[in-house]
Amino acid sequence: MRYFRHRHAAAAVVLVAASLLAGCGTPAPEGTPAPEQPLPADPPYRPVASIREVMNSVIDPSVDVVWNSVGSDIEHGRITDRAPATDENWAEVRRHALIVSEAPNLLMMHNRPVAPPGAPSLAPGVELTPEEIRSLIDKNPAGWYLFAQQLQEAMKPALAAIDAKDSEALFAAGEKIDTTCENCHQVFWYPKAVASAR
Amino acid sequence: MKTKILLVLLAAGALWSVQPAQAHHAFAAEYDEKKPVTLTGIVTKMQWVNPHGWIYMDVKQPDGKVKHWTIETSGPSQLSRRGLKKADFTDGMSAVVKGYQGVKDPALANGRTLVLADGRSFYVGSVGGPNDGADR
Repeated sequence: MRYFRHRHAAAAVVLVAASLLAGCGTPAPEGTPAPEQPLPADPPYRPVASIREVMNSVIDPSVDVVWNSVGSDIEHGRITDRAPATDENWAEVRRHALIVSEAPNLLMMHNRPVAPPGAPSLAPGVELTPEEIRSLIDKNPAGWYLFAQQLQEAMKPALAAIDAKDSEALFAAGEKIDTTCENCHQVFWYPKAVASAR
Repeated sequence: MKTKILLVLLAAGALWSVQPAQAHHAFAAEYDEKKPVTLTGIVTKMQWVNPHGWIYMDVKQPDGKVKHWTIETSGPSQLSRRGLKKADFTDGMSAVVKGYQGVKDPALANGRTLVLADGRSFYVGSVGGPNDGADR
């Protein structure tokens, strides 16, 4: 049954592709509204949250679920290992790992503000102001994109570990995720604090 | 049946238990390098989790009262590479932690060194701490 579904789906894809190809270079049929202006290069994204809010509301709560799902608690000398116990537990961790994996795409959108209007530095003198962070991103967009994509790369071993239900591998992947976060933060969020610690 | 449900809830609670102060911030945003602390007490719990470990410690104050400290450490993989093991956290163990007190929470500290009762000393500091030589 699945085979027939796939065949039907494949046939539909071929038909759509063929009709698109046939349409190339030919005038639009009558009744089809022609676009008055050329489409923008980027889809018309409409960011709602700032980068700070994406970090605090999307990435942070979800990466915490990934991190906290594995590890150990040691109390009265007794070691209790943490690991997702059921398929549903693993599925829940995977949902959050996917959120963290996709969120860097949100961070790379051009017109997303760093923080809500008028928001200050959360730690004046230690962490940069939103205006300072904006300036750093604008001066070095390639660096910003690289760090965002590094987070996606760091999430791949975590997702693979989740798919394999391998708690030890997920635990090992956790350190790499943290390092990736920290590397970006030291460049774009609190470079002064790093410099003063050296 | 009720017992079974309770056990499931307890297991879920352990799996999703919340850590203190998880958000990533610069060291100096969370800890005061002008407030070094030396804590001598009993380790009651250790959370061996990413991205930071957490040591819970009861420290007797000069007035005799016990203060419950929460101490952030570097990530558990780093602790392992420095030779610290989960099995080192034995029941009722005493220890000395040197570190820096929290900016907002006076019972929070960032640990730099951990000295166990047998004299072994470990650097447990995380990235971005002051250049105080604890890592040498």
